[in-house]
This record gives sequence, C-alpha cells and structure tokens, in this order.
Amino acid sequence: MTDLLTVNFAEHWVVDPVAELAGVASVSIVAGKIASVTWRDGEAAARACWTAGANPGPSDPTVALLPALIDLHAHFRQPGANASEDVESGTRAAAHGGYGTVALMPNTEPAADTVETLRAAIAGERHGVRLLPIAAATVGRAGTQVSNVGALVKAGAVAVSDDGSPIADRVVFRAALLAAAAAGIPLMEHCEEPSLTAGSEAADGLVASRLGLRPWPAAGELRAVESAIAVLRDVVLSAAPARLHLTHLSTAAALAAVRSAQGEGLPLTCDVAPHHIALTDGWIAGDRRWAWEVASGDERLAPTADAFDANLRVCPPLRAAVDAAACREALRNGTALAIGTDHAPHSREKKEVEFGLAANGIAGIETSLSVAIAAHRAGELSMATIVAALTTGPAHLLGADLVGVTPGASASLVQVDLAVSWRPSRETLHGRSTNTPLIGRELPGVVLLTVLEGRLAYQR
Amino acid sequence: MVTQSTSAQEHSRRHLLDVAGLDWRSLQALLASAEKMQRLLDSRAGGSNALRGVGVTTLFYEPSTRTRISFEAAATALGARVTTFSVATSSVGKGESLMDTVRTLEALRNHVIVLRHERAGAPWLAARHFGGSIVNAGDGWHAHPTQALLDLSVLSRHLGDRNGSLAGRRIAIVGDLLHSRVVRSNLHTLTTAGATVMLTGPASLTTGFAEHAASFRNSSGSVQLVGSIDEALSGADAVMALRIQRERLTPGELDSLEAYRSAWGLTSVRLAELAPHALVLHPGPMNEGVEIDPDVADGPRSLVLEQVRAGIPMRMAVLAQVVSEPRTHD
Repeated sequence: MTDLLTVNFAEHWVVDPVAELAGVASVSIVAGKIASVTWRDGEAAARACWTAGANPGPSDPTVALLPALIDLHAHFRQPGANASEDVESGTRAAAHGGYGTVALMPNTEPAADTVETLRAAIAGERHGVRLLPIAAATVGRAGTQVSNVGALVKAGAVAVSDDGSPIADRVVFRAALLAAAAAGIPLMEHCEEPSLTAGSEAADGLVASRLGLRPWPAAGELRAVESAIAVLRDVVLSAAPARLHLTHLSTAAALAAVRSAQGEGLPLTCDVAPHHIALTDGWIAGDRRWAWEVASGDERLAPTADAFDANLRVCPPLRAAVDAAACREALRNGTALAIGTDHAPHSREKKEVEFGLAANGIAGIETSLSVAIAAHRAGELSMATIVAALTTGPAHLLGADLVGVTPGASASLVQVDLAVSWRPSRETLHGRSTNTPLIGRELPGVVLLTVLEGRLAYQR
Repeated sequence: MVTQSTSAQEHSRRHLLDVAGLDWRSLQALLASAEKMQRLLDSRAGGSNALRGVGVTTLFYEPSTRTRISFEAAATALGARVTTFSVATSSVGKGESLMDTVRTLEALRNHVIVLRHERAGAPWLAARHFGGSIVNAGDGWHAHPTQALLDLSVLSRHLGDRNGSLAGRRIAIVGDLLHSRVVRSNLHTLTTAGATVMLTGPASLTTGFAEHAASFRNSSGSVQLVGSIDEALSGADAVMALRIQRERLTPGELDSLEAYRSAWGLTSVRLAELAPHALVLHPGPMNEGVEIDPDVADGPRSLVLEQVRAGIPMRMAVLAQVVSEPRTHD
C-alpha cells in the first residue's frame, strides 16, 4: 500500500456533485486528507457554475478534479472465470478508469447467492478500490427460488440482481422485490423478454436486416420493463417500501415507459451503459462514427473490413442512433440516474469467434469516463450530468458513502486531463481482457491520477 | 506461414467478402472477366494454368452441392491445387475454432479459402486471421456474393443493354426474404446495375424489408416491397423465386407448404400473366411444387440451369481477381 498522499492541485477544473459546486479551484491534500479547497471566484460563483452545467470555458484549466467514480454494474468474473478478469485485474482497471467504488454483479460461477460466494467475489488485492457486492436475487440465478436476502445483506450485499438474465417468472420477481424491500436494498433487474430474444444477434432494424443478423426486437426490452413496472405498482400499493432499478436500458420506448412510471411516483430508477449512449449498431457494419454523428437516413451500411467485430456483441444489443439519443436524453432529464459500465470482460477464446457465437459483453470500465467526456465535448451532455451519473447517481442507488471535494474528508479523487487523448490497446489497458470495440480509437480524457482514501491508486 | 514465403508475397490480401460496396465498374469488370473465362472453358484447352501453385480450399460449414462443385471446377480450370475441407471429419468436430482452422489452412500453404458458414460475418472473422484471400461462398442469412454475380451475368446477358446495364428493367424476387442471403446480395448487384427490384413474400418472412428496401434509395436502381405476388409480377422482366429454407424456419413463420404455393408459388397460371420475354430464375436447390412448379422450372422461360452453368466462369473470374498476382508458369 502506498503512503498517504500530500499534494497540491493548483488551479484545476473542480466539479463537486456532492456540494453542487464547480469551477476553478485549488485543492490541497495533506497526509491523505483534503486540507483546503479554494474556489477562485468564490463559492457563490461555483454554485452558479454547477447549476449552469459545470462546463469549463475555453480559457479555463483543462485538467479536471472530480470525486473518484462509482460504477453500479461491473463483472470481475471471480469466482469462476479468472482467465477473463479477477478482483486484482478488475480493480487495477477500475483505478485506471478513475473509479474508486465498484458494485459487482453476481453472475459468477457459482452465482453469488451465498455469503461464502459473496465474500469470495470481492477477495484479493483491490488496489484501494472499494468493492460492493451485489447478491443473486434467486438461488443459482435460476429464477425459481428467492435467495436468503437478509443474510446476504448482513454480509455486505448492496443490492440483489439476476443480471445476465431477467427474473422471468413474475411471481418470483415479485417475491424478490419484496425480499429486497424488506432488507432495505434495491432489486436491479436486467430487462429482457427471453421468448422474444432467444437466438438473436443484433438489434432489430436496418443494420441487422442488411447484415443478415438475427433480430433482437425492441419489444424484448419494453415488454420486460412494462411487466416489471406493473409488478412494482402492485407491490407499492401493498405499502411495501420497494425499490426497483432497471439496469442497462437501451431503447427509447423502455426509457419512455420508465419516465412515465417515475411520473406516477413509483420508486423506480434506471441506468444506461456507455456503449449505448455513444455507439450504434452501425458499428457492426464498420461505421465508426459516434452515435451523435449519425443522422437518420445517413447510415453507412456496406460492411467494411472491420465489420462483424464480436467485441460489439452485447446484451442488450447496440441500437440505432435514435435509441442512443434517448439514452443521453434520459441522463439529461434525470430518467436515468447513472452511467453503469456493464464492464463485461471476456477472454479471447470467447470473443475471437463468429459474431453470433461470441459471448455478450464489452469491457468498459477503463473507457467509460472517456466516452462520457466525448459526449460532453460534442455538446451532448453537460459536465454536471456526466459527473453526477458517474458519482452521486450510483451512490444514491447503492447507499454508498460519497464524499465530495470536501475539506476534512479523506481524499478520493480522480484527476483527468480533458484536453489530451489516448488510444485503448492491449498495452494501455490494465484489465485482463481487452474486449472493447474502442481498441485503437482516439478517446478524449486521460486519467492522470486516481487517489482513493488518501492513497495513490493509479498514476499515469 | 504463407506470409513468410516468397510465393505468398505475390498474393495480396484481397478478398471477396461481399458485393455491397462494389460499384458498377467493378461489376462490369467481373462480368467481362467471366465472359473471357467462358471462352477459355469453351476453348480446346478448356482452362488455363493461371493459378498454378495456388492452393484453393473449399471450407464449407453448411451443406452445398452447386456452389462447392462450381468453385472447385472453377479453381481446377485455372490450374489451382484444390482441397476439399470436410468439416464433418475434421478437427472442427473436436471444437477447433474458425480462427484456428484458417490459420492451420494457411500453414498448410493454402492461398484462397472459399468459405461457406451458417453465421453472418464469419468470412470477415476469417479474413482478419488469414494471410491469403477469403472468398465468401455464403454466410448465414447475410450474403452470397458469387450467386448474385452469376445471377447478374445471366440477367445482363438476356435483359441488359449494350453495356450490360439493367436500367429500366424490373426484376421481381418472391419468397422468404428474411433468411435469404441470395436476396440480400442480389439487391446490391441488381440496383447497382440499375434495375428496379420488386420484393414480395409472406409478411412473416419479409419483416424488416420495407426499411431495408428504402435503404437503396441512393443507388442507380430502386427497391420496393409490395404485399402481393401479382403486384410484384406486374410488368416484370424476370422473376426470381427464393427457396423456402425449411431448416431456417421457426414455428409460426409458415403455415403450410400448400398454402405457400397457392399464395406465392411460381405456377404456370401465374406466369401466363407475364410478358412473353419474361424470365424465371431460382438460386437452387428448388423445392419443386412449393415456391416453383416443376413445369415452370423446366419450362421455356426458365434460366435455372443457365444459372448453374454461369457459376463456373463467374467463380473463375472471382478467383482470378482475388489472387492479384497470378503466377504465369504456363
């Protein structure tokens, strides 16, 4: 473990989503604690700047200082698939990505449905990163019998989920929602109607049709979302303090359904993944434009040499530009409270295969901040929106402690240079698996330093 | 490895993965080359040694008769060393991946792999791991480039203008569009050649094709999806029936084969409505009495056997093109 850090961050672009302040500030760290935060233009200006979106102007410093990020959805594959990732490699990747806290999904082998497996899932060298285990909602993630949620929460589970698959049986889903409510934690649901999506390869639409890929209909997500909301409504009527979180939503229709249910006052939240806000299914044909650069009717459909990259196979699948736009709008209007990476590392054996035979998932924890910054630089998302979606949003869902850039607090910060770029590669990525379609892509935003609990967790 | 040997350096990494993206000039060049190949086949020599020393392997993960034999005949006619890779008796049965298989074939001095695979995009994966050329002989529902090219050569011969263009011509394609790599590739070649393509078939087997058809709005020709076979056949210069791919159907996609024939089959009664010059195509293998009646398949309008024959010279043209520096030892 490294020593407690003493350092002075002079004149940085500081964004503190906890205190809701942003602007040019100098932050000094002494022996791991934030000793002082001096807002150059005063706190009132910093508050106004936060409200205006926390966006740096052209003459402002280009190096930003943010609270260390929180991921509410990642897979470190421990136990069971350590060839793809484990706690040591996953936390090293997380620190490189600017993350200080990571919630781990329970679809390990075996599933994290017992206290023993839950503990095994977070054991090992963590590079200072805090790990929050999510327990399986049902035994073996089989969707038939609800786990012992009370015991799992006592052992540290912050949520339950059968991520990777939905709890298809609605009776079991209801029971899991009630069990999570009784234990005071949210149920995080992967929304997919399996009868509509079995065997599918890419989102239903023009790209899938042109590329001859088996279609995954948008209804496969919407049906599951609607049904989950209907059950939640029943449960809430019976006065249970339930909380339902729908993870990695990807369609405009599903997000609209969530927004409408939130309008009713239902205790419902959701997140979106970086690849769903920034990529489109056109990437499968080899079109490498960001989602916000693609206009409807302007798709590039003839497959290039880069087409059918299995690193683009993910569940839910990449979709059309309009869906990606809806995911960004959900972040702007608060329908989605977080960007969850759905970091899903896979070994080469599982990815260097035919597109339709590849394992689903993108390793994204090292690139999510850069992807968010790319959306910010394109004018799509304000700095305040991306920082909140990567810190306070997920903290709120998981009940995780989050200190901002607060004098007296132990320092957990990420220093990121917004003006320089980098290229993900086998050399620059720290995780064990490099299954990302962003390999070789120039990405804005270089993490210079990740400080966790006053100690250096990553330094460029 | 091929890439380390001198002979391999004579081979560029050119592939034929798709016809999407090939412009009219490239198509014309292939049509012209196929004509030359036909003349070569008709000559006393019956072929050449243009591909002497070139290893061509047909790697078929799906059953095939005409495509495979046609490629092997084409490669043989150009003097290539032809290997038939039998997936059933190979290490593929022991779980060898496509990536390892193409690397192994490269190490065994194969320069061209003709790949047929049940998954869309498999040839792109193979091309990323193979130092030689990949020729796509059909990938899942996605593409069947050489079928589309040979269909174009046949249509262009019968219906094309002096330059082979199909501008002003109407081609109807009827049947199971959803699972058809033949239609997906034909849409590219026919519209690039200037044709108007009328698509039709049962709603369950044409899902997504309204938008798909509209996506050809910037090409020379155009594509329209219509709801009935009568509308599709109206004014058609040629009609292509697609095979009902029983092995790819999921329950509910088709009620019965008899119902299909009565709604969508090419019967002599339906064809009587066509213009006298109108032609009939089928990529084969045919389900006679389902999508096409036997008397139509064998009738005077039918180009079915001509399509099969056109396969060899067109595949010779393709092989000669991907092997960019043909060795001239003859």
